[in-house]
Amino acid sequence: MTVLRSGERVSAGVAEVLSATPAPPSRSRRMSRRRAATAATPYLFLAPGLVLFAVTVLYPTLQAFQMSFFDWKIVGSATSEFLGLDNYARAFTDDHFWLALSNSGIYMVLTVAPQIVIGLGLALLIQKKSPTQPLFRVLFYLPVVTSWVVVSFLFKFLFSDGGLINFALGDLLHVTNGDTAWLADRWTGLIAICALGVWKGIGWSMMIFLAALQGVPQALIEAANMDGANRWQRFKVVTVPAIWPAILFVTVMLVIGGFNVFISVYLMTGGGPAGRTDVLLTYMYEQAFNNLDFGYGSAIAVILTIMVFMLSVVQMKVFRDRNGGGAQ
Amino acid sequence: MKRSTIIAVAVAATVAVSAAGCSTASEAEGTADDPVTLTFWGAYGNGGNSTQAEVLNDTLIPSFEKANPEIKVEYVDIPYDDLLKKLTTSAAGDELPDLVRADLGWVPKFADLGVLVALSDEMDNFQELADATYPGVLSTNLYDGKYYGLPLDTNTRVLITSQEALDAQGLDAPPATFEEFAAGADALSDSGMQVFADGGLGAWNISPWIWSGGGAITDDEVTTSTGYLDSDESVAAVQMLVDLYANDQISNGIIGNAGATSTSEGLPGGNYANILDGPWMNGIWSEQFPEFTPIYAPMPAGDGGSVSVVGGEDIVLTSTSEHKDAAMKFIEFTQSEEFQMALVPTGQLTVISALGDQQVELLPYLELFTDQLATAKARVAIPQASEVDTILNEALVPAFEGTVTVRDALTSAAQKIDELLAEE
Repeated sequence: MTVLRSGERVSAGVAEVLSATPAPPSRSRRMSRRRAATAATPYLFLAPGLVLFAVTVLYPTLQAFQMSFFDWKIVGSATSEFLGLDNYARAFTDDHFWLALSNSGIYMVLTVAPQIVIGLGLALLIQKKSPTQPLFRVLFYLPVVTSWVVVSFLFKFLFSDGGLINFALGDLLHVTNGDTAWLADRWTGLIAICALGVWKGIGWSMMIFLAALQGVPQALIEAANMDGANRWQRFKVVTVPAIWPAILFVTVMLVIGGFNVFISVYLMTGGGPAGRTDVLLTYMYEQAFNNLDFGYGSAIAVILTIMVFMLSVVQMKVFRDRNGGGAQ
Repeated sequence: MKRSTIIAVAVAATVAVSAAGCSTASEAEGTADDPVTLTFWGAYGNGGNSTQAEVLNDTLIPSFEKANPEIKVEYVDIPYDDLLKKLTTSAAGDELPDLVRADLGWVPKFADLGVLVALSDEMDNFQELADATYPGVLSTNLYDGKYYGLPLDTNTRVLITSQEALDAQGLDAPPATFEEFAAGADALSDSGMQVFADGGLGAWNISPWIWSGGGAITDDEVTTSTGYLDSDESVAAVQMLVDLYANDQISNGIIGNAGATSTSEGLPGGNYANILDGPWMNGIWSEQFPEFTPIYAPMPAGDGGSVSVVGGEDIVLTSTSEHKDAAMKFIEFTQSEEFQMALVPTGQLTVISALGDQQVELLPYLELFTDQLATAKARVAIPQASEVDTILNEALVPAFEGTVTVRDALTSAAQKIDELLAEE
């Protein structure tokens, strides 16, 4: 309170000083200079972040965009041949590009929904204050902060031929013979990679939902309760609309993250066997860094960027429309 | 003085100074008081194997510097997995070191980028040095009619088995021919042991079988693959492996199952009867499986004899080096008996054919590798060598799985390799 009052006093003081200052022309000049300074303030605060963004994100992005139109030679002295849209045309006729794209899509579909559903379920389960709540919160969040490299090797080990998954399914549960070569096939390989993605991501969506659930108006829930709404109806009519922005945010972020899967695929299967578990980014990496075909690699990256951007726009539009309808 | 005169003098002075700077940079020869420093990148210390880097840093480089006081050599050790990426980004940023110990598959790639000096043009005694090395490993430096490096160390793959495996197959000696190899597999059925395992179907993996079977990946001039990779001999060699795979006698690690037991664990563990691997395995097993005694044998012979694949590293000089003469002195030093023999005990096979016997005296188990090297061949030395690996893998995996015939797989792979060769 003291701070506020002293602040008021200061501004009042400034006003007094200003009103007491004679000579209108110089005053207006000083005012405009002050106004200019005030207007510049937010930009000055933004500047360091913007500069960092421009240097580390914007410039490389634009450079990659430029590279995608060339048979790009990485050495400065060599001349890169301009190919126009050839790299893009090549991508669209490249079977392996489509395979990698569909694998990215499959990963996205198989990981986004479970992360939302399980993440929300966990958030609902542990939102009530209880002595064990912090423990569970930490346990579920732990995978999120663990290094991708470490957990990728862990899952590769779990899903290896003599790994724990085969032991559990075969020797313990007798569901399979216990000799599934998970990482030797496209579909089982993708299942293993998706399992890691879901396990590692649940904690993150849980935390966002947990925060959003704090914001659900208690009064509305009580009112619904009084009107005789059951638990499911309360969840559907009160909770979901209230946390809708969080669901939108989580979905958009997970879709983007799903298309950007790289480390787990690279380390668990290396895209194998014969590139069948390649996703767009592992394929891009192979083209750029193994084959030194930076032009084609960049074209793949640009296509991915455009796709993710368009998907995000569509999602936001769909969600906004639904939210509007729901609120009425 | 008029203003324009002052400017002219200033400009002249600047030009003179920078010109002097240039000439110092390009012709720097160094003196004992003011030596030039060569930077040398390599992955000698890869996998925590400090002995190689130690020999280089503590014995070889000091010895070279003593003989050449006007030159200092700074060796920078980079993990193998990062080296190619680092070289690529450094090439893009014009920040390459003077010398690089490059995997032999990378030499054509970097020569193609124009960042390497053609040693066959620049070194007066190149031919003499080149003639002293094994032809297979020397050929990995050839790109577009010129040699861009000299062999530094080499290795090859031989058959490695165990007494347990020989007993299980009822053999007195390791399989010497394709027939004995396949017969061993029959004896192993239902034993839980597979006759063979490998970690992929790239050129490093499949070439020894194709060459030993009398086939080839391309013609000798590396102009076409059709007629060679899809020849009857190549098809028959691969077909033998495919048949074994169909009978569950080859581990699915060969089609890229990242979850399969690795060859280095599976041989001592009794999962696999035979693997093909290099001289470095001795050190790995003595640490991880001290009880295990590997038995080394030549690559089984088919109609083409016993032919394995050359591996190793070459030393290359970058075109941005400011001390080319000094760097070439160091390259010459790497071809000396002193340099070559000092690294033999650390698991580096010499590239100088005349030192082969001396190497075997030092480490008897290397005899087999030395003999195998006499006939070993190099993989296709083109800038897109990694794409050849991808083509072979993607064509052969379905053949192993039985969804296409071996001949169709090799025919389509040959066509794709032809397309790559046509880009040359």
